[in-house]
Order: sequence, then structure tokens, then C-alpha cells
Amino acid sequence: MLESGIIIRALMRNKIGALLIALQIALTMTIMVNAIFMIQDRQQQMQRESGIDEKNTFYLTNTVFAQDYNIQVEMQADLNLIRKMPGVVDAIQINAIPLSGGGWSMALQHEPGDDKDTVSSALYMVDDHGINTLGVELIAGVNFTPNDIQWRASGQSTWPDKTIITKAFAKSLYPDDWQSALGKTFYISQNQPMQIVGVMKNLQAPWNGWSGVERSMLVPFQMESQGSKYLIRTEAGRRDELMPIIEKALAERIKGRLIRRVTTIEDTRKKSYRQHNATNKILTTVVSTLTLITGFGIVGLALFSINRRTKQIGTRRALGATKWQIMRYFMVENFIISTFGVIFGCIGAIALNMWLATTFNLTPINIELIIIGAITLFIVGQLAVLYPARKASLISPATATRTI
Amino acid sequence: MLIMKDISKIFQTGDIQTHALRDFNLTVNEGDFISVTGPSGSGKTTFLNIAGLLETYTHGEFLLDGEDVGKLNDNGRSRMRNEKIGFIFQGFNLIPDLNLFDNVDVPLRYRGFNAKQRKLRIEENLERVGLASRMKHLPSQLSGGQQQRVAIARALATSPRFLLADEPTGNLDSEMANGVMSLLEEINQQGTTIVMVTHDALLAERATRTIQVKDGRVSELEILAQQAIA
Repeated sequence: MLESGIIIRALMRNKIGALLIALQIALTMTIMVNAIFMIQDRQQQMQRESGIDEKNTFYLTNTVFAQDYNIQVEMQADLNLIRKMPGVVDAIQINAIPLSGGGWSMALQHEPGDDKDTVSSALYMVDDHGINTLGVELIAGVNFTPNDIQWRASGQSTWPDKTIITKAFAKSLYPDDWQSALGKTFYISQNQPMQIVGVMKNLQAPWNGWSGVERSMLVPFQMESQGSKYLIRTEAGRRDELMPIIEKALAERIKGRLIRRVTTIEDTRKKSYRQHNATNKILTTVVSTLTLITGFGIVGLALFSINRRTKQIGTRRALGATKWQIMRYFMVENFIISTFGVIFGCIGAIALNMWLATTFNLTPINIELIIIGAITLFIVGQLAVLYPARKASLISPATATRTI
Repeated sequence: MLIMKDISKIFQTGDIQTHALRDFNLTVNEGDFISVTGPSGSGKTTFLNIAGLLETYTHGEFLLDGEDVGKLNDNGRSRMRNEKIGFIFQGFNLIPDLNLFDNVDVPLRYRGFNAKQRKLRIEENLERVGLASRMKHLPSQLSGGQQQRVAIARALATSPRFLLADEPTGNLDSEMANGVMSLLEEINQQGTTIVMVTHDALLAERATRTIQVKDGRVSELEILAQQAIA
């Protein structure tokens, strides 16, 4: 008794308004589903763990300008000073910071020589304190020993013969059995052998948008460079307290260099994903606005339709329709229009996703999102038509006998 | 069958009260064919609206088929309109987007008949008004007289106890009006009670009983007649 047959036949004879609303619903669904998909994708990216102890870690830059400055000696003295401070877990010199946007990338290959298949990875130069300072989990193999650590001069092209890589990197090298990467020798810079001595659970690269963000490697290098970074990990909850203390202690220990840019990893993460956050906010605003416009469109069409059919509604009431039956008529009508809109919306959403997936290398949309989008638009439609439908139900049956 | 005792209807617009009906008394018996005449603004349409449960009244008592209409809520009035009253309007009031079959189907759906029962009643009543062959036509494809016949079929489809007709021939030429009147007479002879509001004195005379409404009251002539009937 839902009059759906009669409503469909009536709509077919008066289709322009309904068609426009159905198209609006379809367009909204197409954009909404894909926008939510993109928002979710970014949210997932932002929720990925960097692998390091973000809450308790910060870094600073050490820029040497004095001519008679012994970089090797002073750097070791700096690290000894920091490591001995109460509340500090460990500290290292490092060439790049995860998620910071700037770093080094190198490739490993199974065999030496040119034109061989390579797998690229972010490269972090650390000493034997690297694992502890970063707070990464070593899941196979061993850490570097103090004897493994070499000094790297600026512009040096040779590499140490040991490395610790992430599990994701090991999987890229050995897709079927990542553990078999341990102990294997690979080649860096085409022909320099490098043995994998350890595997970390995870450590992200400095570039969050890179498809290989989970592929990282540690090499036992300390840089003899005028500009370097110190990464410091503190005991839980003591980071903010120690940041100014360490900055001051380093600045006072020796002149001839600048200690600057004391930054937490948490701030680095925020900065790294600032664009993601902004894009998500914009997409959320667009989707909300579009959904609201669709809702208003439904209200507008329903009100117009009701004003046009005042006498008809009065006649229906005169013929025995209850207020609820009048309301139900418009709600069913909206449901039918929404159904057409949602069907076309599903097709549109999948088509747009296929295009996005091909063009921007996104993963395909999941069916749950399409179902949620459809349900949302049905609910929006029903809520939007509620007020006009209620208004229609209040039309007096006496309207039937009035000359309008 | 229909008893109105001292019915009043007052419209309030701001501070101004308009008495559309004053102490309106009328008894309609089963099988009557009553025409209601009167000048414009006399209260004919208000009477028809109240009799058809399209409007509520301000004072008085109104019994329809023994049921006190004043005690019914909105849903109760809708149910009673659907079950006991058939409406014929001056402007036909057919739904332009629906074909004849669907138009006649409208009140039947509100009654809750199943598809088979509805189909039977629709075909039967369109047959009765001579339009069975045009079921799939839209109202706009018919003449005024034919449209009013469809409206009559729609009114009869629910087997109402009585028909309320509001100027049923007001929008028709004399030939079509005559045809519609003949149909109403035939329906009345088959047992349906009819109350018809009309301006047309000649048509009014074709009813078995005529009442005149003046200044919201049944005119004296009719009161005397009612007393004689009693």
C-alpha cells in the first residue's frame, strides 16, 4: 500500500524536476564517496607508525662555523655529554629525520653491476646507539658494534659493508621470505658489497608521500660535516623539560658552532602531514556543503511540488488519505528519486574511483564505503523531505472544494 | 442518515468573526437526492465541507450514520470520508499525472483493498460511467463531461453511503451537464443518497428534495417542509 507504482507512473509523466534531483544525488554520491575514500586514505597514512619513539624524541642542528673546530672530537664530546645527562635515554648524530621531508635515498641490488634491478630505500647514518635512540625494534640479526662505525668525509663515495634494514625493505628484496634477507650481501652504488646484519620492525623514510616510505636502512656511519643533526631520546615525559637544558648545555660546552632548530618529532609529524590535514578539512567541507546543497535541493523541489499540488493533496485528503498517508507519499516519492540517484551515484563513484586509481595510483574503493554513502544519502533525502511532507500533510481537505 | 442540529461555523480572522453557518438544521434520509441552492456566500460550500467532514464546525451536533462526528479525530474523519462519503467536485479534481485507472484507484488504496479487489472495483465503476475502454487515458485526453464521469466512478468505487456533489455540472455545457445529471439520477435510483450543491435552478429541480441556504441557515420554506416530513 505504499503507492510506489502510482508514484513512479506520476514521476514518469513529470520527470524533469525529479531527474535533476536524482542527478544531484548521483553527483553528490560520486563525489562524497570518493572524497571520503581519499580522506580515509590520508587518515590511514597519518596513522602509520614511524617506528620511532615519537613522544620522547627530539632533534637539533649543530652548525660549525669556527675554523679550528675538530668535528670528530667535539661531536663525540657532545654525544657523551648528552648521553650522561639524567633523563636522557640515548643520543646519536643522524643525517636525516624520519617524516621531515629531507633525507637520503640509496638502492640495493642483488648482483653487482650496471643495469641490474634495484630496490631503493631511505638511508640513515647512525652509530651503534642508533637502534636505542630511534627506539626501533630489532626483530632479527644484531646491532652494529662500535668497531663497525666509520667516519664519513664529505663527498665520500664508499660505503660500510654492513646495514640494518626494515622488514618492509627485506620483503621488497625477498617477497616470499623476508627473513632470508638476513646475512645476505647486496650491493650499493652498483658494486659495493653490503651485508644485512639486522632487520628492524619498522622505520619510516623522511618522505611520507613516497610509495616506499616503509623501506629504510641504517648504515654505520658518522659524518664529518660542519652541519649535522643530533637526535635525542629522553625518558617518558621528560622531553620538554630536557630540550632547553640540552640546548643550553651544548651551546655552553664549546663556542664556534650554533645549536639551532630544536624540534620534537611530534612537531615534525604535524608539519609533515599539514597538507594532508588541510586537504582533509577542505574535502570534508566540500562533501558537507554538497550534501547540504542536495538536502536543500530536495526541500526546494518537494516544496515546489507541494505548492503546485495543493489542490491534489486536498483532494487526496478528501478521498480519505490520513495525514500520515500524505506524508508517506512524499517520503516514498523521495525514496524512489533517491534510489535512482544512488544507483547512478554508485556507477559514478566506481567510475571516478577507477579513474583516480589509474591516474593517481590509489587503491580501489571498498564496497562498504559505497553502501555507507548510499545509506547516508537515503537518510539525507528522508530528513530533507520531512519538513515539506509534514507541510503537505497539514493541507486541509477543504482545499478540494476551493477554487485556487 | 445525516443529522445536523444547530450547526454553526464561525471563521475568525483577527478580531473579526464571520458566521458562515448559523443554527443549521438538516436531516438527510437514506435514498434522498437533495439539491442545495442559495446565493453566493450563503454558506452552501461551508455546509458541504462540514457534511463531507472536510471542515470542522464550531457548535452544534452532527451525526453521520449514527456516529457523532464531533468526537472523531483527524484520522477518524479521514476513515469516515473514505468509507461513507463519495465526493464529486466542480473542477473534477482528477490527478492529471495519473490515468483513469489510477485515478479511480486512489481512494481504494486508502481503504486498504488488495490489488484484485481494487482492479475489480475500478473496472466495474468505469464500466458504470461508460469509460471502461479508456482506462489508460490521462484526464487531459478526455472532455469535461467524461472527466466528471471519471470523478463519479472514483466517488462510487468505495461504495459510499452517500455522494456529496459540489456544483458537479458547473464546468460543463448543458448537454454534458444533462448527461452527468442523468447519471446521478440513475445512481440515486440504485440506492445511493446524494446531496448536491448547485446554482442551477433547473438542475436543482431534478432532485427529489431541494433546500435553500440563506445567510448560513436553511431557509424557512425548507424548515416547514422538514417539519411536514417529520
